[in-house]
Amino acid sequence: MPRSLKLFNRSTLLITLLLLAATACFGQSTTGTVTMSATVSKFVEINSGGPATLSGNSGGGITTDGVANSPLAVSINLGELGPSNTNAFVSAQVPLKLRSNASYVLSMSATVTSSGTTSNKIGAADVGFGLGTVTRSGTGVNTSGTDTNATSGDPTLAANGSVNGSTGRYEFTAVRSNLSAFASATTALSGSFIMNAVPRSNTNGLTVPAFFAIKPQFFENGATTVSVTFTVVAP
Amino acid sequence: MKLRFLTYTLLVTAVLFAAEKTSPAQALDISSGGQPTITGAVGGSVTGSSNVTNDLVVTINFGEVSPLNTNATVKVVVPIALRSNQPYQVAVSVSGLGNANTEALQASDIGFGVQNIRVLGGAGKVCTQSTHTVRSPFNNDPSSSATVAANGRVAYTSSLANVTGSTIILSGPQLSKNNSAIRQQSDGYVFDAVFVLTPQFFATGTSSATLIFTIAAGPNVPC
Repeated sequence: MPRSLKLFNRSTLLITLLLLAATACFGQSTTGTVTMSATVSKFVEINSGGPATLSGNSGGGITTDGVANSPLAVSINLGELGPSNTNAFVSAQVPLKLRSNASYVLSMSATVTSSGTTSNKIGAADVGFGLGTVTRSGTGVNTSGTDTNATSGDPTLAANGSVNGSTGRYEFTAVRSNLSAFASATTALSGSFIMNAVPRSNTNGLTVPAFFAIKPQFFENGATTVSVTFTVVAP
Repeated sequence: MKLRFLTYTLLVTAVLFAAEKTSPAQALDISSGGQPTITGAVGGSVTGSSNVTNDLVVTINFGEVSPLNTNATVKVVVPIALRSNQPYQVAVSVSGLGNANTEALQASDIGFGVQNIRVLGGAGKVCTQSTHTVRSPFNNDPSSSATVAANGRVAYTSSLANVTGSTIILSGPQLSKNNSAIRQQSDGYVFDAVFVLTPQFFATGTSSATLIFTIAAGPNVPC
């Protein structure tokens, strides 16, 4: 191979390398990019709104009390519900606390089981139920939000029940005022988003008392268990 | 003879071309400063190059930031490398995050700070007459400077709401000792861009933003 051609080949290789090096330097830049994204999903929760209260009871008591901002798990012994309890009603009040970043629906389902065998045993219709005044207050709460109470409120109110003129049995007659209306999950309360953009450590929220009431009567003797489950969702 | 002349001519041209292209390229440069990290995320991630000679291209997914994420914060640290043979300044601009609903994620909900400026790979130009200065209010770690405002919402000493237009966040003297034509592993400085998002009862939805970091000639400070 002629010497000049050899030089030409070597030089071509060197030129190529130099050009590649120069091109590589274009990789330097005066700008850089950071892109970011985040997701906010619907969130709802129900907790205890504080201690429960029991009134009009003869015997019994609150077995497991509610603790504010803790999971709702309250157990109440309503005591004697026969005529030996001379109070007008045995009433329990259980505060609930709801929080959400979206519209919510609170539903409830209840079961009532009695050891009695006749129609005079305590049944679901004998257990009055209602949700009281809804309160939206505190820092971080959407105080302009609105709520719809599907129950009739405190079941012991005169407007919500009376003695059946035919049977003589006391009945909770208002709309969704007793547990027979909640044999399956049924809406009790609904409304717009509860919390503004605040962290979960903020303990405020929507509070509402759940009322339960039984009028002592000549029920068939025996033991009765009432089990209630509240569920809140963001549809 | 003609072939030899042609060869020498091409060789000289290539050398001059390479020299002409390499010198200015080193003047001001921004790149990845290392592997970005993310903590406290639920379903989140961050991607970027751990190689400091690669371009700065980082994608952050903060993941779930409703109360379903029970971590105190989601924190992302993005190392950014800088090289220059002259005084410099770094600016950042933000686009996106135009949520009309005030309860949705806003620019003020993403804490943003500049921390930990240090020599890159243990080597960089050490100037004694000027310092590298993080511009106010960005000299903080948003994860430790966060507070709860009167309305209950988390507030930061500095956030993306403090970035308006092209906002200068850092400036200083020459960064590199050598005038190398190629990005070096250890001739410049690196700082951490820190992003913090506190999970809250935000209005539902997805949000996104794009930040562009730019290095340019800065105030003429001595080295």
